[in-house]
Amino acid sequence: MGSLSVSGVTKVYGVPGAPGAVTALSNLSFEIANHEFCTILGHSGCGKTTLLNMVAGFERATEGTIAVDGTPVGPPGWERSMMFQDYALFPWLTVRDNVMYGPRMKREPKDEARRQADELITLVGLAGFEKHYPHQLSGGMRQRVALARALVVCPRVLLMDEPFAALDSQTRSFMQDELVRIWRHEPKTVMLVTHSIDEAIKLSDRIIVLSSRPGRLKAQIPVDLPRPRDEDHPVYRALKKQLRDMIHEEMEEG
Amino acid sequence: MPHPLRTTTTGPRMEGVAAEVPRPAGQPVPPAVQTAPPPSPAWRRHAGSAGRHLSRYALLVVLIALWQFTSTVWLPAKDPYLAVLMPAPTSIIAATAELVANGDLFMHLFASLKRELSAFVLSLAAIPLGIAMGWWRPVYVQVNPVIEILRPIPPLAWIPLSILWFGLSDMQNQFIILLGIFFPILVNTVTAVRTVDANLIRASRTLGASEWDVLRTVVFKAALPQIITGIRIGLGVGWMALVAAELVGATTGLGFMINDARSILRTDIIVVGMLTIGVMGLLIDLGIRWLGKRLLPWSPALAK
Ligand SMILES: Nc1ncnc2c1ncn2[C@@H]1O[C@H](COP(=O)(O)OP(=O)(O)OP(=O)(O)O)[C@@H](O)[C@H]1O
Ligand SMILES: [Mg+2]
Repeated sequence: MGSLSVSGVTKVYGVPGAPGAVTALSNLSFEIANHEFCTILGHSGCGKTTLLNMVAGFERATEGTIAVDGTPVGPPGWERSMMFQDYALFPWLTVRDNVMYGPRMKREPKDEARRQADELITLVGLAGFEKHYPHQLSGGMRQRVALARALVVCPRVLLMDEPFAALDSQTRSFMQDELVRIWRHEPKTVMLVTHSIDEAIKLSDRIIVLSSRPGRLKAQIPVDLPRPRDEDHPVYRALKKQLRDMIHEEMEEG
Repeated sequence: MPHPLRTTTTGPRMEGVAAEVPRPAGQPVPPAVQTAPPPSPAWRRHAGSAGRHLSRYALLVVLIALWQFTSTVWLPAKDPYLAVLMPAPTSIIAATAELVANGDLFMHLFASLKRELSAFVLSLAAIPLGIAMGWWRPVYVQVNPVIEILRPIPPLAWIPLSILWFGLSDMQNQFIILLGIFFPILVNTVTAVRTVDANLIRASRTLGASEWDVLRTVVFKAALPQIITGIRIGLGVGWMALVAAELVGATTGLGFMINDARSILRTDIIVVGMLTIGVMGLLIDLGIRWLGKRLLPWSPALAK
């Protein structure tokens, strides 16, 4: 299970109403169904990271509630694991130990943790690299480790903050295909944050477009295209144009 | 600001500069000279690097030769008493052999090392304290003022008071060394903990780590390279403090040995002691560095 509901969420940094207070998100509501891949799209500063931080439990909403499977979210935990743009792998641990970290924190016995980790390492295509350290891997490989590490704990919701933004464009597009492959093999509720229109269309079941600051719900656009998605498909191109216009509009207002 | 001493290094540098003289603009770049150099045999490359190593010590060799000359020829000719004050390298070697043979050198060396080691073990308390200060703001706010007042007091300034507290004992010596080792470890641990990559902590929390897990498995690990740097600095400061403490309040140890030699005018023993202190300090430093590299192969900071 893993449905996410965000209802009436407002986030103000600083004291609301006081000078210097920044309203990052305003009265935002949406739902993500179980095993749905949902992308939050919006341009820089519209509060995407803020939203992710609140879902993860690093910050509290000023108003409104965020719930997973009907239960309001508490402090961070494995039910809402997260992937970071800069990988955030533990440099002192090998690939295997990085992936085993979550199961170990869940107090799984070592053998079981290792079995789970090796399974995920194979799934993300890193079999043979178990004993490497992160600094010995390329950016794409590191992000695979990060994906394995976030998946191995069986989160209800997988959170990703611009996971491929640090990669070169070829690796990025390859990793997007890989993510789709892995997600179909291991369906998960995913909330991914990005400002790349292509990434949003390529990956998601549904795209949630945020307005510029303060972030409000601007549109929800389902993507009904078979995966893997072809960039030259007319629906893909129409969708891309629609989203680009929307984002442009926001930038002019913002 | 050009440093006057820098000019001494321009000799070898100049070659590098000359090799890269900018070409006049417009002149075509000549094709790289393709007279392929004969593959240089391994032995030759070795000989070359050995030669370079030797030439690095040229000044040292000259100085030692000068020293030998001064002590055995020039000073005795002027005033025999002066010659005693400046023992020749050869008499230092002789004294070393004597001290090794009768066991004195190792006895004092081990006494010093033992003090350094026990003070070091005690000063490891700086690590948990430093982690607590770096992690919990209230701890930092309360403890830091105390640290900031105590830290600038040189360990040697504690000698008089510590003699009154502990008497002329091992305890007193260890206390002085402890002061030398403790603060560098503490300060480095605090900084290390405060600069741990926030995303690593966040990643571990989203993977289900409790606060204690985060401290144990992330903060401590991420801080280790800099903690080791703190230990290196601390052991160095402690080693200096140790010798000073032994000069005053001990009946064994290298510090005692050189001070004792002074009272019987054995300048050769003094110099042997000084050199042992220097070499041992260097070995401790190299040892910690080596350990750090081996234990934390992932750390770019320690790989240097
Ligand atoms: N800790 C904070 N304190 C004060 N203001 C903040 C804080 N974090 C974010 N903000 C503000 O909230 C707004 C939204 O920030 P956020 O990082 O969520 O944007 P984003 O959509 O993730 O942008 P980007 O695409 O550049 O990452 C910004 O105006 C930012 O200045
Ligand atoms: Mg962001």
